Amino acid sequence: MEAFYFGPSESYLFGVFHPRQSTNRNEAVVLCNPFGQEYLRAHKSMRRLAINLSNLGYSVLRFDYRGTGDSAGDLAGVTADHWVEDVEHAIQEAVDMAAVPKVALIGLRLGALVAAKAARNNKQVSRLIMWDPIANGSTYLHDIRSTVLEAQNQGSRSRILEPNGTIHFNGFSMPLPFQETLSNLRLNELASAVSVPIAQIVSHETEAFTNLSQQLSERSDFYYELAPAPHDWNYVDHVGGILWPKPIIDAIEAYFDQRAF
Amino acid sequence: MREQVVMVGDDLPLVGVLSEPDQDKNSAPNTAVILLNSGVIHRVGSCRLSVTLARDLSERAGLATFRFDFSGIGDSEARRGTLTAAQAAVEEVQEVMDYLGHWKQFDRFILYGLCSGAFASYRTALSDPRVIGTVQLDGYCYRTWKSHMLHYAPRILSPSRWGQLVLRKLGLIKLKKGAEVSGIEERYFEVPNFAGYPPRQEVKQGLRELNERGLSMLYVFFGNEYYKYHKQFEDCFKPVAFGDNLTVIHHPHATHILSEPEDRRAVVESISDWARDLIKHTQQPVSNGSEAGYRVCICASNENPN
Repeated sequence: MEAFYFGPSESYLFGVFHPRQSTNRNEAVVLCNPFGQEYLRAHKSMRRLAINLSNLGYSVLRFDYRGTGDSAGDLAGVTADHWVEDVEHAIQEAVDMAAVPKVALIGLRLGALVAAKAARNNKQVSRLIMWDPIANGSTYLHDIRSTVLEAQNQGSRSRILEPNGTIHFNGFSMPLPFQETLSNLRLNELASAVSVPIAQIVSHETEAFTNLSQQLSERSDFYYELAPAPHDWNYVDHVGGILWPKPIIDAIEAYFDQRAF
Repeated sequence: MREQVVMVGDDLPLVGVLSEPDQDKNSAPNTAVILLNSGVIHRVGSCRLSVTLARDLSERAGLATFRFDFSGIGDSEARRGTLTAAQAAVEEVQEVMDYLGHWKQFDRFILYGLCSGAFASYRTALSDPRVIGTVQLDGYCYRTWKSHMLHYAPRILSPSRWGQLVLRKLGLIKLKKGAEVSGIEERYFEVPNFAGYPPRQEVKQGLRELNERGLSMLYVFFGNEYYKYHKQFEDCFKPVAFGDNLTVIHHPHATHILSEPEDRRAVVESISDWARDLIKHTQQPVSNGSEAGYRVCICASNENPN
């Protein structure tokens, strides 16, 4: 593997490239992270998925969006559209590094929503894999706010800061411009504009997952799989435990093994 | 400030990020701060604290910083060996110090860590004289009679606590530990496998050695059941006379993972201020009679209501 910075100098992105370790599948993979504490708790899973896919013959790039992880800055002034741009930079970087014509996008939670937007109209994207996707940006924000308010009622100091509207949730901040752009993103609309094959691989069943899969099942290039696994990415303990939902990582790996581009 | 990704070691390298201040703002070209992992969280740190701190140290204190993953954590591949994780951590910090010393001519280091990272910084300081300072968040400390009182007195008066005690003694409820607390199956949830605390006398002896060596120590403690009042650290390790070598800050309302932004901001600011003062004092000969010449004296903030 190779770790490095790439992208524009004012919003440089941290990336880790896992070159393919076996037969060239002629397709690279870019992994798109979830937000906040979920990102922190998903790092191990994303890294392991990258290693496993590289062993199958896919070169993989995982990276941190601007304002997150080791990438430049914080989220002040950053919007969801900036994250979409970051995915586009990552796609180009993966194409260049792997010397392949196409890139598959795998997005976890919020990463799936961002990846779906990036997949629209991008001719270098070969397919979109949505892992426990956030189906609606507005609903996601509503859920976060509800969780914060509920925690406040139970004595938590966490709160939605006023007057600028920044949400502080589980140790991570999301400023208002990000929320405003995120609330406009809906996976059902985005997915219908994605012209490449879509896979929805989920660790559990929800109404939102079902609605999405029903809508997408009309497509002949849609793949759905339920791989039961733990999925509470926002569970936070005081020692920093990390979720390791192996069954769904195995399911994504099997999907790529059996369905080469 | 300029950042670059660095891989330390040819085989199974340790992955890290070096942040360097602008040339005209560099306050100590021979000194670097190394930030260590907390538990199994990768090098960005709990709630991205390590990234925020590293950049603040570079920009406000003019210090180079290096945050990296121990082998087997984050982006660093596991290395096989016979050392315990605690021993390997010391070796790996020394490997990083050697690397940065050869590459950038750093010969003095400040080690930073939260929880297990704090323990590793303490152990490395004991093993290596290049370490001139440690910043330990929730580092080693033990209960004192006063902390026992502060902890148990409210519980003695609580009927529900007595009820729980009886139920536990009868085996009707069980204290949960590690992955059990999460309710997530253990095989799907990784928690740090912390080694037990060393005996208090051993740590006391270690701190005595470090103090005599003139190591500057910043300890920051958060709200938890073990640390109950500002001077608990000094009480715990009496009769070690830390004097100006020691600064203790207590944030009794902050969580162990510093989940609240104002707590992170306060901690980052106090660490950068402390580091800046340390550098200011150690860049010039000390004339106040200190043998070690590494003395630093700043005021500790104490918001402990007790």
